[in-house]
Amino acid sequence: MNTTPILKAEDLYFSYDNENSHSLNGFSLEILRGKKVAFMGANGSGKSTFFLCCNGIHRPSRGTLYYCGEPYDYSRKGLLKLRSKVGIIFQDPDNQLFSASVYQEISFGILNLGVSVEEARQEVEQVIEKLEITPFRHKPTHALSGGQKKQVSIADILVMHPDIIILDEPAAALDPKHTVMVNKIVNQLTKDGITVLMSTHDVNYALEWADEIVLLHKGQVLMHGSPLDVFTDKEALAQTNLEQPAVLQLFESLCKKGILDSSLPLPRNLQTLESYIENM
Amino acid sequence: MITIDMLCYYSRLRYANAMEKFTYSVLTLLFCVVSRSLAMALLVLAVNGILTVRKGGIPFYRYWRYMMIPLAFLIISTLAVIVNISRTPLDAFAFQIGNYYLTGSYASLYKGVQMILTALASVSCLYFLSFNTPMTDILSVLKKIHCPDLLVELMLLIYRYIFLLLDISFSISTSQDSRLGNRNLKTSMKSFGAMASVLLIRAMAKSGALYDSMEARCYDGRLKVLDEQHPPKSKEIFWIVIFEGLLLIFTIWSKLK
Ligand SMILES: Nc1ncnc2c1ncn2[C@@H]1O[C@H](COP(=O)(O)OP(=O)(O)O)[C@@H](O)[C@H]1O
Ligand SMILES: [Mg+2]
Repeated sequence: MNTTPILKAEDLYFSYDNENSHSLNGFSLEILRGKKVAFMGANGSGKSTFFLCCNGIHRPSRGTLYYCGEPYDYSRKGLLKLRSKVGIIFQDPDNQLFSASVYQEISFGILNLGVSVEEARQEVEQVIEKLEITPFRHKPTHALSGGQKKQVSIADILVMHPDIIILDEPAAALDPKHTVMVNKIVNQLTKDGITVLMSTHDVNYALEWADEIVLLHKGQVLMHGSPLDVFTDKEALAQTNLEQPAVLQLFESLCKKGILDSSLPLPRNLQTLESYIENM
Repeated sequence: MITIDMLCYYSRLRYANAMEKFTYSVLTLLFCVVSRSLAMALLVLAVNGILTVRKGGIPFYRYWRYMMIPLAFLIISTLAVIVNISRTPLDAFAFQIGNYYLTGSYASLYKGVQMILTALASVSCLYFLSFNTPMTDILSVLKKIHCPDLLVELMLLIYRYIFLLLDISFSISTSQDSRLGNRNLKTSMKSFGAMASVLLIRAMAKSGALYDSMEARCYDGRLKVLDEQHPPKSKEIFWIVIFEGLLLIFTIWSKLK
């Protein structure tokens, strides 16, 4: 088992305004290959900034990032290599889709990897099929719904087969149907062994989905641990303005009232809690 | 322009090979302009009308309305050719105004009508292309005929941005309306100024974000994209060759005459 973290951040500092204020303020983190990591924290806590650093779009003014144990190489060649491994799906698809044609849009990334046109065509077709884009593949991107744009923006990255996929608030501005769809796609990614970093405000989803939670506060990692550890730490939650997931709240109150046995392992989703109640 | 954009995505000729459509409309346009023949203009108008409305499935009233736009403009501008002010009446028509006549000759009348129809026929060629071909397909044709890459890439981005910025400006003006921003001329002007400045700032921010996202996908200065392939059909090529051949013969004949 390879224990080198796939991604490691060491004491990062990053500022948008010439060091007057720091969006990343001594940010350190290690992420192991194949993990599902949820990034949580208030707006402006530095999630998107960190993601842009991971992809080499921003270069931290201090501190070092490592990919598979190698420090980031910010030369043109180094960046291209890094970006073929670390893909990022932006929060607003309108900031990501540059072409009016879905097909052109999706083919862009894979062509940049230098594969042959034939192979690129195959890959594009596969990802269109896989992400259920076929019904609207011939529409112009400006005529797509928000959810469809999201699907295309995910396809943009998937077609490049990166090792790490970063999703910046993928569920923002999506209807429930598309949220479910995005979640399904994300689950498929982790099954394929891709490391997924996702920022989200949905504590219930994070509790059920994530292997690890990173709580961000003012450009620093406030807490990094398993979902149950993080979501039972009320102090940390209060500091980042997060609610405890509903399942945990309910479990706790049922235990307090003596209805459930508090020695049961903490439930991570409604089904588990339901089975506890059924087996009483 | 936005309606045209919407229509071309529903056209039944949309998936015909773009190069075919491009070649057809450019050649036909050329022959129209070179020959300046009345008969040819009528023929081209009829063929383009049938192709766009019957084959392409563009609603007739839409097509008609779009044809009317240049017509009004053409009639006004050819009036100068047709109508003369002179002391002596000419053969076609003459209205007396005091000592002068508002008058025109058959020759100039013929010339005026010929000009109008030639111009309309040429416009119909361009309409045929734009009603039946999405912009991205036209751009890929431009790339194939070796238009400079920089130009084509710019057009691709601009085309996408037109809609992004339109969206933003619509939502801003709606929000201004909802706060009585357009109550009178003064507030309207103020609102418009505010919108323009916000739009500029947003456009800058958007282009920065877009560039980041392209960089994140290994953008290296060349905008490489693939287009969907709709191979040309031999039957269509056959008819285009026949039609353009006819026009060519007709053009040569009308010049020799
Ligand atoms: N393009 C930018 N220019 C200036 N400041 C920015 C920019 N993007 C983000 N910031 C600032 O950096 C901080 C972190 O923002 P961000 O990483 O976007 O947070 P999050 O994604 O967690 O909401 C915020 O204080 C924000 O105001
Ligand atoms: Mg953000």
